[in-house]
Amino acid sequence: MDRSRAVLALVALAAFALLPFAAGPFWMGLATQMLIFGLLALSTDLLLGHAGLFSLCHASFFAVSAYTVAILQVRYGAPTALAAPAGLLVGTLLAAVFGLAVRTRGVYFILVTLALGYVVWGVAHRWSSFTGGDNGVTNVPFPAVGPFRIETHTGYYYLVLAVIAACALAYRALVRSPFGLALRGIKASESRMRSLGYRTGLHLYAAFVLSGAIASLAGVLYVYYNRFVNPVSASFPVSVEAVLMAIVGGTGTVLGPFLGSAIILGLRNWVSSFFELYAAVLGIVFIATVLWAPDGIMGLARRLRERAGVAPA
Amino acid sequence: MTSAILQAINGISLAALLFLLASGFTLSFGLMRVVNMAHGAYYLLGGYIGLSVARATGSFAAALVAGGLAVVVLGLAVDRFLLRRTGENHLAQVLLTVGVAFVIGDVALRIWGGDFLKVPVPVSLRGAMELPGGLVYPTYRVALILLGTVVGALLWILYRKTQIGAVVRAGVDDREQVAATGINVDRLFVMVSALASFLAGMAGVAGGAFLTLYPGAEWEILVYALVVVIVGGLGSLGGAMIGALVVGLLDAYGRWLLPEFSYFVLFAPMALLLLVRPRGIAGKDA
Amino acid sequence: MTADALRVRGLAKEFGGLRAVDDVSLTVGAGERRVLIGPNGAGKTTLFHCVSGSLRPSAGEVVLFGREITRLAEPRRTALGMSRTFQISNVFADLALIENMSLALLGTDRRKWLLHRAVSAFGALRARGMDGLARVGLEHRADEPARTLSYGERRQLELALALNTNPRVLLLDEPCAGLSPAERQRISQAIARLPREITLVMIEHDMDVALGLADRVTVMHRGKVMLEGSPDEVQADPEVREVYFGHV
Repeated sequence: MDRSRAVLALVALAAFALLPFAAGPFWMGLATQMLIFGLLALSTDLLLGHAGLFSLCHASFFAVSAYTVAILQVRYGAPTALAAPAGLLVGTLLAAVFGLAVRTRGVYFILVTLALGYVVWGVAHRWSSFTGGDNGVTNVPFPAVGPFRIETHTGYYYLVLAVIAACALAYRALVRSPFGLALRGIKASESRMRSLGYRTGLHLYAAFVLSGAIASLAGVLYVYYNRFVNPVSASFPVSVEAVLMAIVGGTGTVLGPFLGSAIILGLRNWVSSFFELYAAVLGIVFIATVLWAPDGIMGLARRLRERAGVAPA
Repeated sequence: MTSAILQAINGISLAALLFLLASGFTLSFGLMRVVNMAHGAYYLLGGYIGLSVARATGSFAAALVAGGLAVVVLGLAVDRFLLRRTGENHLAQVLLTVGVAFVIGDVALRIWGGDFLKVPVPVSLRGAMELPGGLVYPTYRVALILLGTVVGALLWILYRKTQIGAVVRAGVDDREQVAATGINVDRLFVMVSALASFLAGMAGVAGGAFLTLYPGAEWEILVYALVVVIVGGLGSLGGAMIGALVVGLLDAYGRWLLPEFSYFVLFAPMALLLLVRPRGIAGKDA
Repeated sequence: MTADALRVRGLAKEFGGLRAVDDVSLTVGAGERRVLIGPNGAGKTTLFHCVSGSLRPSAGEVVLFGREITRLAEPRRTALGMSRTFQISNVFADLALIENMSLALLGTDRRKWLLHRAVSAFGALRARGMDGLARVGLEHRADEPARTLSYGERRQLELALALNTNPRVLLLDEPCAGLSPAERQRISQAIARLPREITLVMIEHDMDVALGLADRVTVMHRGKVMLEGSPDEVQADPEVREVYFGHV
């Protein structure tokens, strides 16, 4: 089981590495986006697929780190070596504050994170003197640390690929660790976990902050790719799409969120070229996924494998 | 001083509107354990339809009714064909209804366009009136406060003093028990859901006359309604009233005193509540 | 202070107007086997909830090995040696049996906070988990999800989980409820074999099991302690016979 997964991952990695040579800049750009948003989706899945918490505010951490990098580099001329870690830090700190939300469960948690997400969007939108309002912050330069300067889109693509690959490995270790198992235990039965000696609130808080850090990293990668950031990055559709990507691809897995990201972004690109009602199409994808494929693609694949008689995962 | 009072009335008029929207949402959850994120889209659609009806007929009353009824039909269809399949899976309900909201929002965009539109205020309610104490205030907003109060009073009487209300309250506390007494629970659900939809659609028309209607409004109003419900507690009608007042007043004063941070002012008390009473002021178990 | 494992003093728990537990006091000595009996609604499980920490009592105190734990959160009580089983099996249905055991074993272990090493790499942990499963006859199903277990097997897993948290005081809530005679035998034997380092407090309806295992019996009725004594004393008491056996 593990070997075939490892082979699959290596094949995927190779495919990604060769992409710029096989396809044009358009596909490479799409692949970069897919990786970045896949990471954002992954961050929501740490909470959803493992701890059972459905967060609707992860775009906040994504956007706040992006804004931090942008403002530091563009307005204060800070170097990447300062701006990028600062972005990561600020986003994570916000997650530490929003982590208060884990004092609630179930529906309340969903609603509270939705509302918290709106705070950031609202601030980005209205505090125009600082955030640039609807126009956001533009002209973010390519990242440069000392002698290492990224000067092309291709170069940035490989940087993102390397970061994502490293993240995926680290995330995999995390979910297989005692901490990851504890999260799944809380999802399965929080009362049992408490009686076994786990301080579940603390575990969930730690998970929330960790997931916020991952989302912040995605935000840093995003702002250097997009070269600008505006309030849309903090908006509700971004948060909910991230969760949808995780679900479509398959929650509780490492590959699922990236698969889901590829599907959703691919769909968007394909549909918007001939049909104007993209949001409606996305809405239908939401509905269809809930009704017919709640396990996502990975779940579908697993069920097909089980039906074909191969040993269950 | 007058400014402060004016802001208070602003806040109360917003509270009236939010109450119309939040009461349906909270009762739907309390009774049917359904989280319907399309409520904001219901508001917007109701508003747009009311707008078209008002333009065609010149009647604001007709617009209110049309907006409400259109959403009732839509809401029943969503319940029957979509929400019924999700049982009590809140995650599924949220995703499903967000999807519905996306569809409604996009379709509305195609039909009514992206401009900021206003539902025409009826002639009798235009302009300003003089309030006791000498303050001059837009008549329409006063009428809105009256509407909210009347609806609130009616709902309260219905909820607390009638037999149907007693059944709904019992159902909010224990659905199985109500079903066991032989009452047609399905019909009850349909009625409550229809009422919630009607209120949302009507709120859209009422709100569309002083706040504007535009793509994205459905999410902004939903978030406000959700904060009302969080503060007041899911499933509590009284909580929705208190929550609406809190949110309305905070928004008015926030916009007046700290316009750049007004959203923050609004959500800070919610954060505080999370620290102290995660279940809201009067909430039932989620 | 004393060698008492568990001391409950003046404990009360009110729900609305109902006193589910009404001024209950009892003392369980270290190593003792105490059985709690009483008709349904007597407040036995509620008492357990207050002792284990899943409910806050309205009044009274709970003392564990001389340490007051009345206000302590449930996980902290487990860290101090409290463990319990639930009346309705509360296992991790979606997780494999061995994962269930790993969670139990790690609950009182600082390594539960490790973020980078895979649980599967903890060889000794897995061995102890398999041991725990073997003791309730479930080791051959170690990698299957707990939801595939039968009712009786779940009760066994429930017991196995509670046993693997390094307990000093074990609260068993009707461990034999709903089991076939053979399963009942197996579980009561497993319980009988537990070392005296673990103090047992057990709620049980099956009189044979209860009286066979108990050192002392506490009878509860309508939230109060009605009588306390040796199994023979309790069995002979006429009031108990009326209240309890009359209901059977």
